[in-house]
Amino acid sequence: MRSVSRRFGETVALDGVDFEARPGEIHALLGANGAGKTTLMRILAGLDRPDAGTVEVFGRRIESFEPGPIRALGVALVQQHFTLVPTLTASENLVLARPEGALLPPGRTAGVRVQKLVEKFGLEVRDGVPASQLSVGERQRLEILRALDADAKILLLDEPTAVLTDVEAERLLGVARALADQGRALVVITHRLAEVEACDRVTVLREGIEAISDGSVDGYTRADLASAMIGTDTSGTITARTTRRTQAAPVCLRVRDVSLGRVSSLTLDVGEGEIVGIAGVDGNGQSELEAALSGRSAAESGEVSISGEPIAPGDPRSRRGQGLAYIPSDRYSWGLIGPMDLADNLELGRVLPIRPNRPARHKAARPSLDHWDVRTAGPHARTSSLSGGNAQKLVLARELDEHPSAVLACYPTRGLDPEAADTVATRLVAAAEAGCAVLWIGAELDELLAVSDRIEVLYDGTLFGPYLPPFDRAAIGLAMAGDAADRARTATGGEADPP
Amino acid sequence: MDTLFSIATVEAGIRLGLPVALAALGAIINERSGVLNLGLEGMMLSGALGGYIVNDATGSPWIGLLAGLLVGASTGGVFAGLVVTFRTSQVVTGIAFTIVAIAATTYLFQLRWDIGELPPRVERLGMWPLVALTLVCVAAVWFLFRRTTLGLTISAVGESPESADALGYNVVLIRWMATIAGGALAGLGGAVLVNGPLGLFIEEVTAGRGWVALALVVFAGWRPVPAVAGAFLFGLCDAAQLRLQGTATEVPYEVFLALPYVVTLIALVVRARRSHTPAALGDPYVRGAA
Amino acid sequence: MTSSDTRQPASGTTPSPKSTWPPKLDGWLDAVSRRATAEGILSSILVPVVSALAALVVGGVLIAIDGVNPLSVYQAILQGVFTKSRGFSYTATVATPLVLIGVGYALAYRARVFTIGGEGQYLVGAVAGTAVVTAGGVGDLPRVVLIVMGLGAAMVAGALWGGLAGVLANRFGASIVISTLMLSFIGDSLLQWAVRDGIRDPESYNANSRPITAAALPSFFGQKTHLGFLFALVLVPIAWWLIRRHRWGFRIDALGHNPGTLDANEFSSARVTLSVLVVAGGLAGLAGMVETTGVNIRLGQEASVGYGWDAIIVALIGRLHPLGVLIAGLGMAGLTIGFESAQRQFELPSSLVSLITAFVIIFVVWGDAIAARWKEAR
Repeated sequence: MRSVSRRFGETVALDGVDFEARPGEIHALLGANGAGKTTLMRILAGLDRPDAGTVEVFGRRIESFEPGPIRALGVALVQQHFTLVPTLTASENLVLARPEGALLPPGRTAGVRVQKLVEKFGLEVRDGVPASQLSVGERQRLEILRALDADAKILLLDEPTAVLTDVEAERLLGVARALADQGRALVVITHRLAEVEACDRVTVLREGIEAISDGSVDGYTRADLASAMIGTDTSGTITARTTRRTQAAPVCLRVRDVSLGRVSSLTLDVGEGEIVGIAGVDGNGQSELEAALSGRSAAESGEVSISGEPIAPGDPRSRRGQGLAYIPSDRYSWGLIGPMDLADNLELGRVLPIRPNRPARHKAARPSLDHWDVRTAGPHARTSSLSGGNAQKLVLARELDEHPSAVLACYPTRGLDPEAADTVATRLVAAAEAGCAVLWIGAELDELLAVSDRIEVLYDGTLFGPYLPPFDRAAIGLAMAGDAADRARTATGGEADPP
Repeated sequence: MDTLFSIATVEAGIRLGLPVALAALGAIINERSGVLNLGLEGMMLSGALGGYIVNDATGSPWIGLLAGLLVGASTGGVFAGLVVTFRTSQVVTGIAFTIVAIAATTYLFQLRWDIGELPPRVERLGMWPLVALTLVCVAAVWFLFRRTTLGLTISAVGESPESADALGYNVVLIRWMATIAGGALAGLGGAVLVNGPLGLFIEEVTAGRGWVALALVVFAGWRPVPAVAGAFLFGLCDAAQLRLQGTATEVPYEVFLALPYVVTLIALVVRARRSHTPAALGDPYVRGAA
Repeated sequence: MTSSDTRQPASGTTPSPKSTWPPKLDGWLDAVSRRATAEGILSSILVPVVSALAALVVGGVLIAIDGVNPLSVYQAILQGVFTKSRGFSYTATVATPLVLIGVGYALAYRARVFTIGGEGQYLVGAVAGTAVVTAGGVGDLPRVVLIVMGLGAAMVAGALWGGLAGVLANRFGASIVISTLMLSFIGDSLLQWAVRDGIRDPESYNANSRPITAAALPSFFGQKTHLGFLFALVLVPIAWWLIRRHRWGFRIDALGHNPGTLDANEFSSARVTLSVLVVAGGLAGLAGMVETTGVNIRLGQEASVGYGWDAIIVALIGRLHPLGVLIAGLGMAGLTIGFESAQRQFELPSSLVSLITAFVIIFVVWGDAIAARWKEAR
């Protein structure tokens, strides 16, 4: 790929990037969130087109960026969100990707095909159940098998280890090495330094530009790679708090034996003025925890209360009335209404039955927008026109303006640029320092380390911890990978938890 | 009441169920590909008129059926153009489409036969050829989704268009084909109604059978065989209602008039949570917009 | 890049209140909430006006094919409405049910609650209202009381008929499109039974109810326009105010744009869905009784004349805005009335009017898609 550029509206995702993958090598593509890694790979797979630059596969220049022809050349992308059809079984997914004529093969033949692939590449996958019922690891292995079944010579893996446990990730990298040894070209997208060490070459992207271009992995230390990835500032994007609360505060947010989906019988207290960080790899029950605590879904059992008053599920006015602010993980699905204006969005959850007229509403919204530094054309602007950071600040303005006694903040910095992320974090810290109980569910460990008074790790629906400052990063990391859960199991000596 | 459950009633039930069964099969193909076809009633009606006019002109009900099929297919093409290519709202377009079809068929019909003038009865097909035709269609749809790669692809497009796209399938083309096929079967269903049990066309002759077919599809969980079974249940109620009309009975005949709809409503309620709706049903597909 | 963030398949484990099937609908409503920008004016006014003109052109071509000069037909239509003494009065009468039901549809569609059950609610309302005012022992009550009782019963019946679809959707996930439709057919059966047996006038040879003259609505404006038109005229500003200034209207729009956010921050989307169906049903029921007592003398088998279906078109062409609904309703009624006289003059098929109005709605849908494409391209 030569000087590939791609812009989305005002944002430049890729700015003249060169990239090469060679047979027999694993090429790591490293970069922080939003650096342009995924865009680059989508272009190479024909799912997106470059605004400028050229792409060649085995010396042949790609003219039309369509997924079909590029797949036929032997390029396969294993995306972050899987592209298996969830209702189809493993063998059906394979047949869909590479049909054997107009008729479907009988069930047995298709099963044999899966079995052969499984044996050939050592990637274990169950057949006979819909893909939606497979575990994340299995689904990923199936995706890779599907690519190999199509005889992919260039295999692009987009953050393959993000959803895997350490053991699984290590195994996957082993498989990747074996595939490279068979003469395939592999590209592994990652933002984990440890994984780069298992690769041969490395390219680091930062804000759409190569910070390191096609270097040999041996030539760089971890520190080199880290600074290339996040620029000169290696301390992370969030300003760390200087002081942490040490003595116990009166409990404000109380969670008792809450169960919902993956989350089983979870108990947690957050004191006034305390920030409790929930660390963990995505998919360990975060979304269920969020749904139950925010009252979006009724918990199967258990109770959430603020200062002793229980919160009724499905009734946002009760939540707000008890003083629980909610910053959702997906602000566009649960926080904001895109086609409505900013003033309307600020008004969500207020109690007035009759609303002021539009000029009055806009006038009333202005001070709040100014105070929270929402940079826009004014209160009449459509909310969908806001950038991610400003949209999040709008959510904060609505949720924190009424001086809540507790805040449920779910991935509050997700998708934000560093400046906006820092602002959001600072505001949440300020809320805590003013006496608010903050429960912060996060994915970035560095961020949680920077702000939390206490960290709990969510693994497979159960909390492990607490971890107190000064934080033992390694211990928390191990707990996130399920180590604490394993040890707990061994300690009780039983197979109490089903695998 | 004993006349109610006679062989004649069952026969009439089968006859009246056939058009609904065919339309339901069409809707299954449509909806499995992710296109919600609320224009089904309109397509059925168009096919009915097409089948009637051609039968009247040629004297052959079989050519009439073919005409219904072709008219239905072309209405399916128009619908696909709007919802798949222009990505208009499938709900609003479907409703509007049916309204247009009702008006257009009535207009064309009135243009040809003035009000008050008796439209001619056309040559009718017996029950068994139509039963055979419907069975062939059921088997074909069943085979399509159970045994062919094309069927698997249609389902994949309806479940996860982005996956199908990433594998190199043309989502727009497949949805076009599925919508045309669905329209063709709905049109055939309309033509069967006119060239089979009725032997004549009147304004809005389908009388909501297309809508019933749509509801049956939900009830049948998007599977062909249960959908056809549901269609015959509907046909039986319809036949019972016709039979009771005019005879004084303890049960008002309007109960049977309403029964198919009540049953459909109950089925909708019972099945709605259990059956798996194609995940992308009703969503226009734009690459990269997920 | 943010769009590539992995979405958690939360619905698999979290029981989310999925109230409607089909679950997702595309951006039909975006045009509605658009403020008075150039773009907003383009899509909210230009598209329906151009569509109406285009449909008239198509209608003209059809008339010409029939061998009649379309211009003289359209002239006759205009004369029928504006120069004939009863033209405007008849137009207002026909517009009344269209506007009453259409405003209900507009509110529901703003919330993306796609009910098409107006016809059934209209009939059920007419039956319930007629049953009350023709029941034994109410004949001595003053006319005002009878009218209020009849209209009230009709509204309650229509609201229940509409609310039933809401309950089925919220509790069982039944598709509102299909359930309201089935309820319409059932409502028609109910009417057939009621006039044949249930509330039949035993002294009448035909299947119809007792005369409802005791509860007849007062008329004004010549002989045909009745009190119901006043209801329609009053309803429009009320609905407009509800949308603009009342919390309920705000919630309706919020539901239409983003049910998830509504649920998480403001109010249960299921309850808003139910409430909007109840209101739309109540209005359709009212329309049924207003038509029965304003225009007819008895309730008969032929009461189903399709206002409930035509009002769908009126709501959509009226851009889901009460004022738009009023304009579209009057326009459609005017076309119908004007055409009636033109039809006799030129011997045209009576269905031409429905065909023209049907074309308007197809053109509106298509025009919206084209406008959206233009916007995308820029």
